[in-house]
Amino acid sequence: MTRKLTYLNYLKQDLLPTQWCPGCGNGIVLKLACQSLEELNFPKKGTVVVSGIGCAGRSAGFFNLDSVHTAHGRAIPVAEGIKLANEKLNVIVISGDGDLLGIGGNHLLHASRRNTDISIICIANAIYGMTGGQYSPTTELGSKTLTTPSGNTDTPIDVQALIKAHNCFYARSTTYHLKHAMKCMVEALKHRGLSFAEIKTQCITNDGRRRGFKNGYEMLMYYKDNYKINNNSNELKHNEIGIVG
Amino acid sequence: MAKILLQGNQAIALAAIKAGMKFFAGYPITPASEILHELTNKKEVKVLQMEDEIASVNAIIGASLAGVKSMTATSGPGFSLMQESIGYAHMMEVPLVIVNVQRVGPSTGMPTFPAQGDILQCKYGSHGDYFPIVFYPNSVDELYKYTITAFNAAEESLSPVILLSDGYVGHLYETIETVDYPVSERAMAPLGTSNRHFTGLTHEDSKPATSNPEVHKKLIKHLETKQKKVSKKYNDYEYIENNSSDTLLIAYGAMSRASYNFKDDYSIFRPIRIFPIVEKIKEIAKKYKEIIVMEMNTGQYKSEVEKLLHREVKLVPILGGKIDLQDIWGGLRRLKRGK
Repeated sequence: MTRKLTYLNYLKQDLLPTQWCPGCGNGIVLKLACQSLEELNFPKKGTVVVSGIGCAGRSAGFFNLDSVHTAHGRAIPVAEGIKLANEKLNVIVISGDGDLLGIGGNHLLHASRRNTDISIICIANAIYGMTGGQYSPTTELGSKTLTTPSGNTDTPIDVQALIKAHNCFYARSTTYHLKHAMKCMVEALKHRGLSFAEIKTQCITNDGRRRGFKNGYEMLMYYKDNYKINNNSNELKHNEIGIVG
Repeated sequence: MAKILLQGNQAIALAAIKAGMKFFAGYPITPASEILHELTNKKEVKVLQMEDEIASVNAIIGASLAGVKSMTATSGPGFSLMQESIGYAHMMEVPLVIVNVQRVGPSTGMPTFPAQGDILQCKYGSHGDYFPIVFYPNSVDELYKYTITAFNAAEESLSPVILLSDGYVGHLYETIETVDYPVSERAMAPLGTSNRHFTGLTHEDSKPATSNPEVHKKLIKHLETKQKKVSKKYNDYEYIENNSSDTLLIAYGAMSRASYNFKDDYSIFRPIRIFPIVEKIKEIAKKYKEIIVMEMNTGQYKSEVEKLLHREVKLVPILGGKIDLQDIWGGLRRLKRGK
């Protein structure tokens, strides 16, 4: 049996391997994004990927289509400008939680109010990985990072509530739940209006290892054991993944 | 061609439409808001009021990459917020027009009063080396003309071009003739037609190259050469020669209008393309024993002129947003007395 590898058409294969660390989850999201594009048969000419800064921000450059790597936190306003200038384009943002919810958080707040027709895939690894492992807007309470050596005391941002407050599309999955994560992305890409797919993604190098995980696999197993699929809810609980729509 | 009474800010808005602008994003700010107001409800333009100036400049970067001529307009505080993304647009070679109607700073300063405190910010505001083209007209008529020029220079140089104004010229009403100035068309292919990667990282052939000094040197050289080449087309200045004077007054924008009052006693040079500084000034300066810059800051353009001419340049600073001929006279007299 030969496996379909046509999703690779969406990748600049000459740039592989990526510069991401062994055990990193970004590559999983990159692959799922390409598979989602293929599933929906999005034309390479007519689709634009926009990313911000950080490890996740480097995703855009691997797509075999026009892509924009913006300044830190600015993927959303750049994507909005692109979409409003040419409404025929499929505009997809792929970036990290620090980029989209921290430095760029205000743009997400207002883009969701405007309900601009862009799809946002958030690689949520709960850490600033590229800069060495500082806590991010989605770091769990109590989590130990470089800058929260005694455990994080800041409440993680409730992005589901933010997105739903403006009646936009929200879905959550993890890099362990491959089929589910892809389904979330596909639905997000199909959605007319602003959609936000939050994919919990492991960073072993600058997060997991400080929290007692030995490797990326153990972090994936943590996702497996701790997140339950619930696709029939209007509001996901803390440990649930699903499509809220 | 038609004769109309326009406010400076309105003239910018109408000229931008004439230049083919299709997208405008901005955030309300005194004294630039009239540009946003004028463009709202104009069917030729998509207008977006954003959450801040950072979002505004990034939205026009996106729109421009997607293939439409784009502009934003702001004043000092907003211009400061835009600085990172201005450098980003230089790095990615995105044509944009950014209007800065200056007011008194630093900080919130005096919002309704004109100033010229953002001169160096235009040139050095973002980090790293980049080479902006900056125009600073001094009348409503010129704001109309140079808005179109700014769009042309942006398209030709594939870079953000700054159109400077100030609270005085921006709020001035004058009758102008709307001349059909030539318009440069978009040459760059829009997003969604290829597999290019636009990035603020040092890059070569659409690929990031963050550890190769040679690639970076080449890129910076390219940005510099490009600016020099395009700006040559726009060596715009005004020179009022007074053969009985051994002193050259240099003024621009609102201050240059005041400088006309002194043409019986001084020669006057007014750069319109203020950056890169019009080279002609080197030749003209040779005729004069003394050179004085009068400007609404503590010597920003003076230091740039000194650097270019390699000689001492004197200063009449006018601070606080009020242009008073007595103050200027006082300043000129003090310089004459050697103080």
